[in-house]
Amino acid sequence: MAWYQVPGNEQDIVISTRVRFARNLSEYPFPSRLDAAGAKEIINKVGQVLEDNGFTKTDFSDISHTAAVSLVEKHYVSPEFVRESLPHALYLNEPCNLSVMLCEEDHIRLQCILPGLALQDAYKGACKVEQLLDERFDLAFDDKLGYLTHCPTNLGTAMRASVMLFLPATTMAGRMEALAARLNQLGLTVRGLYGEGSGSDGYLYQVSNQVTLGVTEEGTLRKLEDVVHQIIDNERKLRQSVSGRDLDLLTDRVLRAEGTLKYAHALTSAEFLKLAAEVRLGVAMGIIKDVKVEALTALLIEAMPATLTMNTEPTPKTEGERDLARAMLVREKLSGNP
Amino acid sequence: MLCEKCNKKKATVFYNENINGKVRSFNLCADCAKAMRDAGELEDISASFSSFASPFLSLEDSFFNDFFSLPFHTTGGLNAPSAPKKCPLCGATLSDISTTGKVGCAKCYETFADELEGPIQSAHGKTGHIGRIARGHRAKKEKADRISALKKQLKEAINDEKFEEAASLRDQIHALEGNA
Ligand SMILES: [Zn+2]
Ligand SMILES: [Zn+2]
Repeated sequence: MAWYQVPGNEQDIVISTRVRFARNLSEYPFPSRLDAAGAKEIINKVGQVLEDNGFTKTDFSDISHTAAVSLVEKHYVSPEFVRESLPHALYLNEPCNLSVMLCEEDHIRLQCILPGLALQDAYKGACKVEQLLDERFDLAFDDKLGYLTHCPTNLGTAMRASVMLFLPATTMAGRMEALAARLNQLGLTVRGLYGEGSGSDGYLYQVSNQVTLGVTEEGTLRKLEDVVHQIIDNERKLRQSVSGRDLDLLTDRVLRAEGTLKYAHALTSAEFLKLAAEVRLGVAMGIIKDVKVEALTALLIEAMPATLTMNTEPTPKTEGERDLARAMLVREKLSGNP
Repeated sequence: MLCEKCNKKKATVFYNENINGKVRSFNLCADCAKAMRDAGELEDISASFSSFASPFLSLEDSFFNDFFSLPFHTTGGLNAPSAPKKCPLCGATLSDISTTGKVGCAKCYETFADELEGPIQSAHGKTGHIGRIARGHRAKKEKADRISALKKQLKEAINDEKFEEAASLRDQIHALEGNA
Protein backbone atom coordinates (compact mmCIF):
# COMPACT_ATOMS: atom_id res chain seq x y z
CA MET A 1 0.00 0.00 0.00
CA ALA A 2 1.15 3.51 -0.75
CA TRP A 3 1.58 6.26 1.85
CA TYR A 4 -1.76 7.89 0.97
CA GLN A 5 -3.72 4.68 1.54
CA VAL A 6 -2.88 4.14 5.21
CA PRO A 7 -3.84 6.10 8.36
CA GLY A 8 -1.33 8.44 10.01
CA ASN A 9 -0.82 10.37 13.27
CA GLU A 10 -2.86 13.55 13.79
CA GLN A 11 -4.55 12.84 10.48
CA ASP A 12 -7.48 15.18 11.18
CA ILE A 13 -4.93 17.95 10.54
CA VAL A 14 -1.72 16.49 9.14
CA ILE A 15 -1.92 14.91 5.68
CA SER A 16 1.70 13.91 5.21
CA THR A 17 5.31 14.37 6.26
CA ARG A 18 8.31 14.45 3.96
CA VAL A 19 12.05 14.56 4.53
CA ARG A 20 14.25 15.11 1.52
CA PHE A 21 18.02 15.27 1.01
CA ALA A 22 19.85 16.79 -1.94
CA ARG A 23 23.16 15.09 -2.77
CA ASN A 24 25.63 15.35 -5.64
CA LEU A 25 28.51 13.25 -6.92
CA SER A 26 31.66 15.31 -6.55
CA GLU A 27 33.24 14.40 -9.90
CA TYR A 28 30.35 15.47 -12.19
CA PRO A 29 29.10 18.98 -13.03
CA PHE A 30 25.66 19.79 -11.61
CA PRO A 31 22.75 18.93 -13.95
CA SER A 32 22.51 22.35 -15.65
CA ARG A 33 26.12 21.96 -16.88
CA LEU A 34 25.94 18.22 -17.45
CA ASP A 35 25.59 16.56 -20.86
CA ALA A 36 23.26 13.66 -21.65
CA ALA A 37 26.11 11.13 -21.47
CA GLY A 38 27.07 12.32 -18.00
CA ALA A 39 23.47 12.17 -16.82
CA LYS A 40 23.14 8.60 -18.14
CA GLU A 41 26.35 7.61 -16.36
CA ILE A 42 25.04 8.94 -13.05
CA ILE A 43 21.68 7.21 -13.53
CA ASN A 44 23.42 3.89 -14.30
CA LYS A 45 25.85 4.10 -11.38
CA VAL A 46 23.51 5.32 -8.68
CA GLY A 47 20.53 3.45 -10.11
CA GLN A 48 22.36 0.13 -9.88
CA VAL A 49 22.90 0.57 -6.14
CA LEU A 50 19.25 1.52 -5.68
CA GLU A 51 17.99 -1.41 -7.76
CA ASP A 52 20.12 -3.76 -5.65
CA ASN A 53 18.30 -2.37 -2.63
CA GLY A 54 14.67 -2.82 -3.55
CA PHE A 55 14.05 0.22 -5.75
CA THR A 56 12.31 0.08 -9.13
CA LYS A 57 13.34 2.31 -11.99
CA THR A 58 11.01 4.57 -13.96
CA ASP A 59 12.78 6.10 -16.93
CA PHE A 60 11.03 9.35 -17.76
CA SER A 61 11.79 9.04 -21.45
CA ASP A 62 9.74 5.83 -21.55
CA ILE A 63 6.51 6.90 -19.84
CA SER A 64 3.50 8.92 -20.95
CA HIS A 65 2.96 12.48 -19.78
CA THR A 66 -0.07 11.31 -17.79
CA ALA A 67 2.00 8.66 -16.01
CA ALA A 68 4.64 11.28 -15.20
CA VAL A 69 2.10 13.77 -13.84
CA SER A 70 0.51 11.03 -11.75
CA LEU A 71 3.89 10.59 -10.03
CA VAL A 72 3.84 14.33 -9.27
CA GLU A 73 0.34 14.01 -7.81
CA LYS A 74 1.59 11.21 -5.55
CA HIS A 75 4.42 13.54 -4.42
CA TYR A 76 7.15 11.15 -5.59
CA VAL A 77 8.64 13.66 -8.04
CA SER A 78 8.59 17.44 -8.43
CA PRO A 79 6.71 19.20 -11.27
CA GLU A 80 10.12 20.42 -12.55
CA PHE A 81 11.29 16.84 -12.87
CA VAL A 82 8.62 16.14 -15.51
CA ARG A 83 9.87 19.06 -17.62
CA GLU A 84 13.58 18.24 -17.21
CA SER A 85 15.28 17.88 -20.61
CA LEU A 86 18.34 15.84 -19.55
CA PRO A 87 17.92 12.08 -19.14
CA HIS A 88 16.33 11.63 -15.72
CA ALA A 89 14.88 8.71 -13.81
CA LEU A 90 12.85 7.99 -10.71
CA TYR A 91 13.73 5.12 -8.40
CA LEU A 92 10.83 4.17 -6.22
CA ASN A 93 10.45 1.85 -3.27
CA GLU A 94 6.75 2.35 -2.67
CA PRO A 95 6.27 -0.12 0.23
CA CYS A 96 9.02 1.74 2.11
CA ASN A 97 7.71 5.16 1.01
CA LEU A 98 11.08 6.03 -0.46
CA SER A 99 11.75 7.78 -3.75
CA VAL A 100 14.89 9.03 -5.43
CA MET A 101 14.98 11.48 -8.33
CA LEU A 102 18.18 11.24 -10.34
CA CYS A 103 19.25 14.33 -12.29
CA GLU A 104 16.65 16.79 -11.11
CA GLU A 105 18.14 20.10 -9.94
CA ASP A 106 20.77 18.07 -8.09
CA HIS A 107 22.18 14.69 -9.13
CA ILE A 108 20.31 12.99 -6.30
CA ARG A 109 17.12 14.06 -4.57
CA LEU A 110 16.00 11.37 -2.16
CA GLN A 111 12.95 11.50 0.05
CA CYS A 112 10.80 9.58 2.47
CA ILE A 113 7.10 10.47 2.58
CA LEU A 114 4.74 9.19 5.28
CA PRO A 115 1.07 9.74 6.11
CA GLY A 116 0.25 12.02 9.06
CA LEU A 117 2.83 13.60 11.35
CA ALA A 118 5.97 11.42 11.34
CA LEU A 119 9.07 13.61 11.15
CA GLN A 120 11.42 11.23 12.98
CA ASP A 121 10.37 8.19 10.98
CA ALA A 122 10.59 10.07 7.68
CA TYR A 123 14.07 11.27 8.66
CA LYS A 124 15.16 7.73 9.53
CA GLY A 125 13.81 6.46 6.22
CA ALA A 126 15.64 9.10 4.22
CA CYS A 127 18.87 8.52 6.22
CA LYS A 128 18.88 4.83 5.30
CA VAL A 129 19.02 5.65 1.60
CA GLU A 130 21.49 8.46 2.19
CA GLN A 131 23.87 6.10 4.04
CA LEU A 132 23.59 3.55 1.28
CA LEU A 133 24.77 6.12 -1.26
CA ASP A 134 27.33 7.74 1.05
CA GLU A 135 29.06 4.36 1.46
CA ARG A 136 29.42 3.86 -2.28
CA PHE A 137 29.97 7.32 -3.75
CA ASP A 138 32.06 10.40 -3.08
CA LEU A 139 29.36 12.91 -2.29
CA ALA A 140 30.14 16.57 -2.87
CA PHE A 141 30.90 18.00 0.57
CA ASP A 142 32.87 20.81 2.17
CA ASP A 143 33.78 21.05 5.86
CA LYS A 144 32.46 24.60 6.13
CA LEU A 145 29.61 24.60 3.59
CA GLY A 146 28.34 21.07 4.20
CA TYR A 147 26.73 19.21 1.30
CA LEU A 148 27.40 21.10 -1.91
CA THR A 149 24.25 21.75 -3.89
CA HIS A 150 23.35 23.23 -7.24
CA CYS A 151 21.53 26.12 -5.63
CA PRO A 152 23.43 27.77 -2.77
CA THR A 153 20.20 28.10 -0.73
CA ASN A 154 20.39 24.37 0.04
CA LEU A 155 23.99 24.27 1.31
CA GLY A 156 24.67 22.72 4.71
CA THR A 157 22.35 19.86 5.60
CA ALA A 158 20.70 20.12 2.15
CA MET A 159 17.69 18.75 3.99
CA ARG A 160 14.12 19.89 3.48
CA ALA A 161 11.58 18.60 5.98
CA SER A 162 7.97 19.47 5.30
CA VAL A 163 4.58 18.77 6.78
CA MET A 164 1.35 19.11 4.81
CA LEU A 165 -1.39 20.55 6.98
CA PHE A 166 -5.16 20.94 6.66
CA LEU A 167 -6.02 24.25 8.35
CA PRO A 168 -9.60 25.30 7.58
CA ALA A 169 -10.31 26.96 10.95
CA THR A 170 -7.01 28.86 11.03
CA THR A 171 -7.68 30.05 7.48
CA MET A 172 -11.31 31.06 8.11
CA ALA A 173 -10.24 32.90 11.26
CA GLY A 174 -7.90 34.96 9.07
CA ARG A 175 -4.79 33.87 10.92
CA MET A 176 -2.66 32.46 8.11
CA GLU A 177 -0.80 35.68 7.46
CA ALA A 178 0.23 36.13 11.08
CA LEU A 179 1.26 32.48 11.19
CA ALA A 180 3.39 32.87 8.07
CA ALA A 181 5.14 35.90 9.56
CA ARG A 182 5.92 34.04 12.76
CA LEU A 183 7.23 30.99 10.94
CA ASN A 184 9.49 33.20 8.90
CA GLN A 185 11.17 34.51 12.04
CA LEU A 186 11.85 30.91 13.06
CA GLY A 187 13.53 30.01 9.78
CA LEU A 188 10.45 28.11 8.61
CA THR A 189 8.11 28.81 5.74
CA VAL A 190 4.48 28.07 4.86
CA ARG A 191 2.98 27.85 1.39
CA GLY A 192 -0.48 27.08 0.10
CA LEU A 193 -0.38 23.74 -1.67
CA TYR A 194 -2.42 24.77 -4.69
CA GLY A 195 -1.62 28.48 -4.64
CA GLU A 196 -3.58 31.11 -2.73
CA GLY A 197 -5.06 30.57 0.70
CA SER A 198 -8.71 30.53 -0.33
CA GLY A 199 -11.25 27.82 0.38
CA SER A 200 -11.03 26.45 -3.14
CA ASP A 201 -7.54 25.12 -2.53
CA GLY A 202 -8.70 22.67 0.10
CA TYR A 203 -7.10 24.64 3.00
CA LEU A 204 -3.89 22.71 2.45
CA TYR A 205 -0.54 24.17 3.41
CA GLN A 206 3.01 22.99 3.50
CA VAL A 207 5.23 24.04 6.41
CA SER A 208 8.94 23.43 5.93
CA ASN A 209 12.38 24.51 7.08
CA GLN A 210 14.12 27.21 5.13
CA VAL A 211 17.49 27.33 6.86
CA THR A 212 19.98 24.58 6.04
CA LEU A 213 23.41 25.96 6.94
CA GLY A 214 24.60 26.28 10.54
CA VAL A 215 21.91 23.95 11.85
CA THR A 216 21.80 20.21 12.52
CA GLU A 217 19.26 17.86 11.01
CA GLU A 218 17.95 16.90 14.46
CA GLY A 219 17.63 20.53 15.54
CA THR A 220 15.71 21.39 12.41
CA LEU A 221 13.30 18.49 12.92
CA ARG A 222 12.78 19.37 16.58
CA LYS A 223 11.94 22.96 15.76
CA LEU A 224 9.56 21.98 12.98
CA GLU A 225 7.89 19.39 15.21
CA ASP A 226 7.38 21.95 18.03
CA VAL A 227 5.88 24.49 15.69
CA VAL A 228 3.62 21.97 13.98
CA HIS A 229 2.27 20.86 17.37
CA GLN A 230 1.46 24.48 18.20
CA ILE A 231 -0.31 24.94 14.87
CA ILE A 232 -2.29 21.73 15.49
CA ASP A 233 -3.33 22.85 18.99
CA ASN A 234 -4.48 26.21 17.67
CA GLU A 235 -6.42 24.68 14.81
CA ARG A 236 -8.18 22.27 17.20
CA LYS A 237 -9.06 25.06 19.63
CA LEU A 238 -10.49 27.15 16.84
CA ARG A 239 -12.54 24.21 15.57
CA GLN A 240 -13.92 23.60 19.08
CA SER A 241 -14.79 27.25 19.57
CA VAL A 242 -17.49 27.20 16.89
CA SER A 243 -20.90 27.18 18.56
CA GLY A 244 -24.54 28.28 18.37
CA ARG A 245 -25.76 29.64 15.06
CA ASP A 246 -22.26 29.39 13.53
CA LEU A 247 -22.14 25.70 14.30
CA ASP A 248 -25.57 25.19 12.70
CA LEU A 249 -24.43 26.96 9.56
CA LEU A 250 -21.20 25.00 9.45
CA THR A 251 -23.03 21.73 10.03
CA ASP A 252 -25.40 22.52 7.18
CA ARG A 253 -22.52 23.35 4.86
CA VAL A 254 -20.56 20.23 5.76
CA LEU A 255 -23.55 17.89 5.34
CA ARG A 256 -24.48 19.45 2.01
CA ALA A 257 -20.89 18.86 0.87
CA GLU A 258 -21.16 15.23 1.96
CA GLY A 259 -24.43 14.88 0.09
CA THR A 260 -22.99 16.30 -3.10
CA LEU A 261 -19.89 14.09 -2.95
CA LYS A 262 -22.02 11.00 -2.33
CA TYR A 263 -24.61 11.67 -5.02
CA ALA A 264 -22.98 13.78 -7.74
CA HIS A 265 -22.84 12.29 -11.25
CA ALA A 266 -19.98 14.57 -12.37
CA LEU A 267 -17.28 16.33 -10.33
CA THR A 268 -14.52 18.66 -11.52
CA SER A 269 -11.29 18.47 -9.54
CA ALA A 270 -11.78 22.02 -8.20
CA GLU A 271 -15.27 21.19 -6.94
CA PHE A 272 -14.04 17.93 -5.48
CA LEU A 273 -11.19 19.65 -3.59
CA LYS A 274 -13.51 22.25 -2.11
CA LEU A 275 -16.19 19.77 -1.02
CA ALA A 276 -13.68 17.17 0.21
CA ALA A 277 -12.15 19.85 2.47
CA GLU A 278 -15.56 20.60 3.98
CA VAL A 279 -16.30 16.90 4.50
CA ARG A 280 -12.86 16.42 6.04
CA LEU A 281 -13.61 19.20 8.51
CA GLY A 282 -17.01 17.63 9.23
CA VAL A 283 -15.41 14.26 9.97
CA ALA A 284 -12.70 15.85 12.14
CA MET A 285 -15.34 17.75 14.15
CA GLY A 286 -17.55 14.69 14.61
CA ILE A 287 -20.38 16.10 12.49
CA ILE A 288 -19.98 13.34 9.91
CA LYS A 289 -19.53 9.90 11.42
CA ASP A 290 -19.66 7.43 8.55
CA VAL A 291 -16.67 8.64 6.50
CA LYS A 292 -13.06 7.84 7.35
CA VAL A 293 -10.39 10.53 7.17
CA GLU A 294 -7.99 8.16 5.41
CA ALA A 295 -10.53 7.65 2.61
CA LEU A 296 -10.42 11.40 2.03
CA THR A 297 -6.62 11.41 2.05
CA ALA A 298 -6.54 8.62 -0.53
CA LEU A 299 -8.96 10.58 -2.72
CA LEU A 300 -6.73 13.64 -2.47
CA ILE A 301 -4.33 11.65 -4.68
CA GLU A 302 -6.60 9.20 -6.51
CA ALA A 303 -9.13 11.80 -7.69
CA MET A 304 -6.45 14.05 -9.20
CA PRO A 305 -6.61 14.18 -13.02
CA ALA A 306 -3.58 12.10 -14.02
CA THR A 307 -3.85 9.44 -11.32
CA LEU A 308 -7.59 9.14 -11.96
CA THR A 309 -6.94 8.69 -15.68
CA MET A 310 -4.28 6.04 -15.01
CA ASN A 311 -6.57 4.06 -12.69
CA THR A 312 -9.79 4.17 -14.72
CA GLU A 313 -10.86 1.49 -17.24
CA PRO A 314 -11.60 2.31 -20.01
CA THR A 315 -9.31 5.36 -20.01
CA PRO A 316 -11.36 8.58 -19.92
CA LYS A 317 -10.64 10.60 -23.06
CA THR A 318 -12.12 14.00 -22.26
CA GLU A 319 -12.38 16.20 -19.23
CA GLY A 320 -16.10 15.43 -19.15
CA GLU A 321 -15.47 11.69 -19.03
CA ARG A 322 -12.93 12.26 -16.30
CA ASP A 323 -15.45 14.21 -14.22
CA LEU A 324 -17.86 11.26 -14.45
CA ALA A 325 -15.11 8.82 -13.43
CA ARG A 326 -14.17 11.10 -10.53
CA ALA A 327 -17.74 11.25 -9.24
CA MET A 328 -17.99 7.46 -9.45
CA LEU A 329 -14.72 6.94 -7.56
CA VAL A 330 -15.68 9.42 -4.84
CA ARG A 331 -19.10 7.81 -4.44
CA GLU A 332 -17.54 4.36 -4.06
CA LYS A 333 -14.91 5.48 -1.57
CA LEU A 334 -17.29 7.46 0.61
CA SER A 335 -20.17 5.03 0.76
CA GLY A 336 -18.02 1.97 1.32
CA ASN A 337 -18.30 0.58 4.86
CA PRO A 338 -16.28 2.78 7.19
CA MET B 1 25.76 48.69 -15.89
CA LEU B 2 22.76 50.54 -14.54
CA CYS B 3 19.28 49.11 -14.13
CA GLU B 4 17.37 49.84 -17.32
CA LYS B 5 14.14 50.44 -15.44
CA CYS B 6 15.12 53.03 -12.83
CA ASN B 7 18.46 54.03 -14.30
CA LYS B 8 19.74 54.62 -10.79
CA LYS B 9 20.87 51.43 -9.17
CA LYS B 10 23.35 48.90 -10.39
CA ALA B 11 21.88 46.08 -12.47
CA THR B 12 22.51 42.80 -10.72
CA VAL B 13 19.68 40.68 -12.13
CA PHE B 14 19.87 39.52 -15.70
CA TYR B 15 16.50 38.32 -16.79
CA ASN B 16 15.99 36.31 -19.95
CA GLU B 17 12.76 34.79 -21.05
CA ASN B 18 11.69 32.84 -24.06
CA ILE B 19 7.95 32.39 -24.39
CA ASN B 20 7.01 30.54 -27.56
CA GLY B 21 10.07 31.90 -29.29
CA LYS B 22 9.42 35.49 -28.18
CA VAL B 23 12.61 36.53 -26.43
CA ARG B 24 12.84 39.39 -23.95
CA SER B 25 15.70 40.33 -21.68
CA PHE B 26 16.25 42.96 -19.03
CA ASN B 27 19.14 44.12 -16.91
CA LEU B 28 17.62 45.13 -13.60
CA CYS B 29 18.49 46.07 -10.07
CA ALA B 30 17.19 43.70 -7.40
CA ASP B 31 14.42 46.10 -6.35
CA CYS B 32 13.07 46.64 -9.85
CA ALA B 33 13.31 42.91 -10.59
CA LYS B 34 11.26 42.14 -7.53
CA ALA B 35 8.75 44.89 -8.31
CA MET B 36 8.34 43.68 -11.88
CA ARG B 37 8.02 40.11 -10.77
CA ASP B 38 5.43 40.97 -8.13
CA ALA B 39 3.51 42.94 -10.74
CA GLY B 40 3.54 39.88 -12.98
CA GLU B 41 5.54 41.61 -15.70
CA LEU B 42 8.26 38.97 -15.69
CA GLU B 43 6.12 36.13 -16.93
CA ASP B 44 8.48 33.26 -17.05
CA ILE B 45 10.53 33.47 -13.91
CA SER B 46 11.57 29.85 -14.25
CA ALA B 47 13.28 30.69 -17.52
CA SER B 48 16.13 32.52 -15.93
CA PHE B 49 15.84 31.80 -12.21
CA SER B 50 15.07 28.17 -12.82
CA SER B 51 13.22 26.01 -10.31
CA PHE B 52 12.43 28.74 -7.84
CA ALA B 53 8.96 27.29 -7.64
CA SER B 54 9.68 23.67 -6.82
CA PRO B 55 7.42 22.44 -4.04
CA PHE B 56 10.28 20.24 -2.89
CA LEU B 57 12.40 23.31 -2.41
CA SER B 58 10.18 26.17 -1.44
CA LEU B 59 12.91 28.64 -2.16
CA GLU B 60 12.01 32.01 -0.87
CA ASP B 61 11.97 35.54 -2.15
CA SER B 62 14.52 36.52 0.43
CA PHE B 63 17.18 34.52 -1.31
CA PHE B 64 16.26 35.93 -4.66
CA ASN B 65 16.87 39.36 -3.20
CA ASP B 66 19.86 38.56 -1.09
CA PHE B 67 21.76 36.52 -3.60
CA PHE B 68 21.30 38.80 -6.54
CA SER B 69 21.41 42.13 -4.79
CA LEU B 70 25.00 41.51 -3.83
CA PRO B 71 27.37 43.02 -6.32
CA PHE B 72 29.27 40.25 -8.02
CA HIS B 73 32.62 41.36 -9.30
CA THR B 74 31.69 40.70 -12.88
CA THR B 75 28.47 42.67 -12.84
CA GLY B 76 30.33 45.95 -12.94
CA GLY B 77 33.12 44.81 -15.22
CA LEU B 78 31.71 42.76 -18.03
CA ASN B 79 34.13 44.50 -20.37
CA ALA B 80 37.10 43.52 -18.24
CA PRO B 81 40.17 43.06 -20.44
CA SER B 82 41.50 39.69 -19.32
CA ALA B 83 39.69 36.37 -19.80
CA PRO B 84 37.42 35.66 -16.84
CA LYS B 85 38.31 32.96 -14.34
CA LYS B 86 36.85 29.58 -15.25
CA CYS B 87 36.05 26.56 -13.10
CA PRO B 88 38.49 23.78 -14.11
CA LEU B 89 35.85 21.03 -13.77
CA CYS B 90 32.72 22.50 -15.37
CA GLY B 91 34.00 25.61 -17.16
CA ALA B 92 31.55 27.99 -15.45
CA THR B 93 32.52 31.63 -15.05
CA LEU B 94 31.33 33.90 -12.30
CA SER B 95 28.92 35.59 -14.66
CA ASP B 96 27.39 32.19 -15.50
CA ILE B 97 26.78 31.73 -11.80
CA SER B 98 25.41 35.20 -11.15
CA THR B 99 23.12 35.03 -14.18
CA THR B 100 21.49 31.75 -13.19
CA GLY B 101 21.89 31.88 -9.42
CA LYS B 102 23.11 28.31 -9.72
CA VAL B 103 26.61 27.03 -9.15
CA GLY B 104 28.13 24.87 -11.93
CA CYS B 105 29.64 22.05 -9.91
CA ALA B 106 31.11 21.19 -6.53
CA LYS B 107 34.51 22.51 -7.65
CA CYS B 108 32.98 25.94 -8.36
CA TYR B 109 32.55 26.45 -4.63
CA GLU B 110 36.33 26.12 -4.31
CA THR B 111 37.21 28.06 -7.46
CA PHE B 112 34.97 31.00 -6.61
CA ALA B 113 35.18 30.67 -2.83
CA ASP B 114 36.02 34.35 -2.30
CA GLU B 115 33.37 35.66 -4.66
CA LEU B 116 30.64 33.35 -3.34
CA GLU B 117 31.35 33.97 0.32
CA GLY B 118 29.31 37.20 0.45
CA PRO B 119 26.18 35.90 -1.26
CA ILE B 120 26.27 32.67 0.77
CA GLN B 121 26.61 34.60 4.01
CA SER B 122 23.77 36.90 3.15
CA ALA B 123 21.53 33.94 2.38
CA HIS B 124 22.47 31.82 5.38
CA GLY B 125 24.16 34.14 7.87
CA LYS B 126 27.76 33.96 8.96
CA THR B 127 27.85 30.35 9.92
CA GLY B 128 29.41 26.99 9.16
CA HIS B 129 28.05 23.50 8.63
CA ILE B 130 27.29 21.50 11.79
CA GLY B 131 25.09 18.73 10.38
CA ARG B 132 25.81 15.26 8.98
CA ILE B 133 29.24 14.66 7.49
CA ALA B 134 30.07 12.81 4.28
CA ARG B 135 32.10 9.61 4.59
CA GLY B 136 35.37 10.97 3.23
CA HIS B 137 35.34 13.88 5.68
CA ARG B 138 34.36 12.02 8.80
CA ALA B 139 37.84 10.79 9.80
CA LYS B 140 39.23 14.31 9.58
CA LYS B 141 36.45 15.67 11.75
CA GLU B 142 36.85 12.88 14.30
CA LYS B 143 40.58 13.55 14.51
CA ALA B 144 40.04 17.27 15.01
CA ASP B 145 37.48 16.56 17.73
CA ARG B 146 39.85 14.08 19.40
CA ILE B 147 42.72 16.58 19.38
CA SER B 148 40.63 19.35 20.89
CA ALA B 149 39.38 16.97 23.60
CA LEU B 150 42.97 15.94 24.43
CA LYS B 151 44.04 19.59 24.57
CA LYS B 152 41.31 20.28 27.08
CA GLN B 153 42.46 17.34 29.21
CA LEU B 154 46.04 18.57 28.94
CA LYS B 155 45.08 21.98 30.27
CA GLU B 156 43.27 20.40 33.21
CA ALA B 157 46.21 18.08 33.91
CA ILE B 158 48.61 21.03 34.01
CA ASN B 159 46.28 22.98 36.28
CA ASP B 160 46.10 20.00 38.63
CA GLU B 161 49.91 19.63 38.41
CA LYS B 162 49.57 16.06 37.09
CA PHE B 163 52.71 16.36 35.00
CA GLU B 164 53.17 12.71 34.09
CA GLU B 165 49.65 12.60 32.71
CA ALA B 166 50.27 15.89 30.90
CA ALA B 167 53.38 14.52 29.22
CA SER B 168 51.49 11.48 27.99
CA LEU B 169 48.65 13.66 26.69
CA ARG B 170 51.14 15.90 24.89
CA ASP B 171 52.65 12.85 23.18
CA GLN B 172 49.23 11.71 22.06
CA ILE B 173 48.44 15.14 20.64
CA HIS B 174 51.75 15.30 18.78
CA ALA B 175 51.21 11.82 17.40
CA LEU B 176 47.77 12.77 16.09
CA GLU B 177 48.91 16.11 14.68
CA GLY B 178 51.97 14.46 13.17
CA ASN B 179 50.22 12.14 10.74
CA ALA B 180 48.14 14.83 9.10
ZN1 LIG C 1 16.17 49.59 -10.87
ZN1 LIG D 1 32.46 24.24 -11.68
